[in-house]
Amino acid sequence: MVDIQFLGLLNATLQAATLLFIASLGELITEKSGILNLGVEGMISIGAVAGFMTAVNTNNIFLAIVVGILSSSIFASIHAIVTVILKQDQTVSGLILTILGLAVSSLLGKNYVDRKLETKLESIFSIENPSNVLEVFLNQNIIFYLAIIFTITISYILKNTMFGTRFQAVGEDLKAADSMGLNVTKTQFIATCIGGAFAGLSGVYLTLSYVPYWTDNMTAGRGWIALALVIFGGWKPYRTALGALLFGFLEALVPRLQTYGFELNPYIVKIAPYVITILVLVLLTIYKGGKTGAPKNIGISFFRENR
Amino acid sequence: MNKYTLSKRQVVNELSTFYSFLAGFLIALIIGSVILLIQDKSPIDTFSLMFKLSIGSVNSLSSSLNKATPLILAGLGIAIINTVKLWNIGAEGQIFMGAIGVNLIYINFQLTSSTSFIFLLLVSAFVGGAVCILIPAVAKVLFGVNEIITTLLTNYIVIGLTIYLVNGPWKDPGSLNFPAAAYVGKEVYLPTIFGKLSYGFLICILFTAFAHYLKNSSVFGYEMRIAGGSEMTAIYAGINAKQKAFFAMLIGGGFAGLAGGIELLSQTHRVSTGISQGFGYTAIIVAAITGMRPIGIFLVGSLFGALSIGGSVIQTIGVSTYIADIIQVSTLFGALVIQFFFNYQLKRADDG
Repeated sequence: MVDIQFLGLLNATLQAATLLFIASLGELITEKSGILNLGVEGMISIGAVAGFMTAVNTNNIFLAIVVGILSSSIFASIHAIVTVILKQDQTVSGLILTILGLAVSSLLGKNYVDRKLETKLESIFSIENPSNVLEVFLNQNIIFYLAIIFTITISYILKNTMFGTRFQAVGEDLKAADSMGLNVTKTQFIATCIGGAFAGLSGVYLTLSYVPYWTDNMTAGRGWIALALVIFGGWKPYRTALGALLFGFLEALVPRLQTYGFELNPYIVKIAPYVITILVLVLLTIYKGGKTGAPKNIGISFFRENR
Repeated sequence: MNKYTLSKRQVVNELSTFYSFLAGFLIALIIGSVILLIQDKSPIDTFSLMFKLSIGSVNSLSSSLNKATPLILAGLGIAIINTVKLWNIGAEGQIFMGAIGVNLIYINFQLTSSTSFIFLLLVSAFVGGAVCILIPAVAKVLFGVNEIITTLLTNYIVIGLTIYLVNGPWKDPGSLNFPAAAYVGKEVYLPTIFGKLSYGFLICILFTAFAHYLKNSSVFGYEMRIAGGSEMTAIYAGINAKQKAFFAMLIGGGFAGLAGGIELLSQTHRVSTGISQGFGYTAIIVAAITGMRPIGIFLVGSLFGALSIGGSVIQTIGVSTYIADIIQVSTLFGALVIQFFFNYQLKRADDG
């Protein structure tokens, strides 16, 4: 018999990690193509509210997931249009995407605050009281398993396939990729929308499973932590997953410290994840001596000069 | 498919940013109208009401300019930091930290002359904002840590700190429903010029001029531009790029801190989570839309202040305040789209 507190901690870790990881995996794909999208927070928010509204109105969880993913993806295409096609500043556009996403989701979700979900996203095996580690793993919902599948396949595609190599070439050297005959614009546009889709899935996980309700600004900076995770993971899926588990663990641990006999101020506990994120980023950058492994062309718009 | 090719314009119209802004604002009004129509509200009625209630009278105009003050100051701070090509997303936190700095000095010191006390409090607001950006600045110049993420995360930390303070050490037992610190005394309120217009706006004008001078005419501004340009040029010119970046960040943070101090001394009169209503984020839009030009920030900040006041009063007729947010954001997106046509031109492939 394993300690029940430990199992609770493990479960909370996996859930918090899934939420962060899905969003950072999407951002990783976008950044690999050379596009920096700082709008993760806004995209998660859009996916969260769209999924929640669909679930409340139709009681169809599958439809809610699809709607959440699609709306964030379409929302991300604003960033793609502004940066990829119109070649405007990626930092500005991404930041504004966050502000717009939070405003639009508040506007849409105005009548959904305090609404209850009839059906939430249940775990596949629905084990009542998990009594060992394996059961905790089996007691996760479908998005958790999707996250594992995504990690393995995306890592494989990036490392071992021609498609993955070409895709990364776009983010590393735009001009070379272009002269190789790759369609830079199309690749970057699609990569940005895929990033949005992942953020949407993360948002759906937030409102249909993690908290199941809707309030304004409920993403609470998770989009920014997801961005930090991409840096933490050195733009590699497995390392990003590891980082997500670490941050998920911290997010799950800090509120539980009291049950382990630590007296902590609840208000200070709330800011701990952000302090830890900054600390980790600083330590990691020192450790790597500034070499982060970022795609070389990140943030630079592609423009093919006339010949 | 490739009938048209894109080329960079050799000469970009000097006023392109201004025209883009105007066009962007028009686009935003159209988007706002569509949203209002969807909600069965008349756009003309709503916008004319917003106009009337934001600049229609001395009182409403002064409210608008008071609202513009933190937007402009924080926007100027962002623009100064952007001179070295760095981003400050932490203005929201710096505004709170400015207010915290004011209250910290206020409860620990007492000066008999209220003018010099107000001056001391405003200085501590500036210092508070600079302290808030200190860790991101050190992390950036010493270790090269991405300042966008660190400055953003400090927002959550400082707002968390504010919630802690107003629920803990600074909690005013008299404020039952809304956790807040005790009010500051009337002797340190910023006086008004006319109507409700606070002296904060005058400070804001002075700092706009200062920021304009700093960015465009001073030696430090010149060095900042070089430091933000090419690394090699900075080395050849003997300019310590990291040092310039560090001081630019502290000054920029101080501007936003000052915004928080003025907000406390002229509007809220106490520390609470209501010190800033997203001013730090709106300031990013203001700064970006103007291409980081101080005079532009002053003008657009004033307009956005009026928009926010207009947006908050139309709640009474059942229109969401988010309409103002969406108009502000759409203005920037619209301006970015239009800016593209100033920077690039489409040519038919056969005449090239």
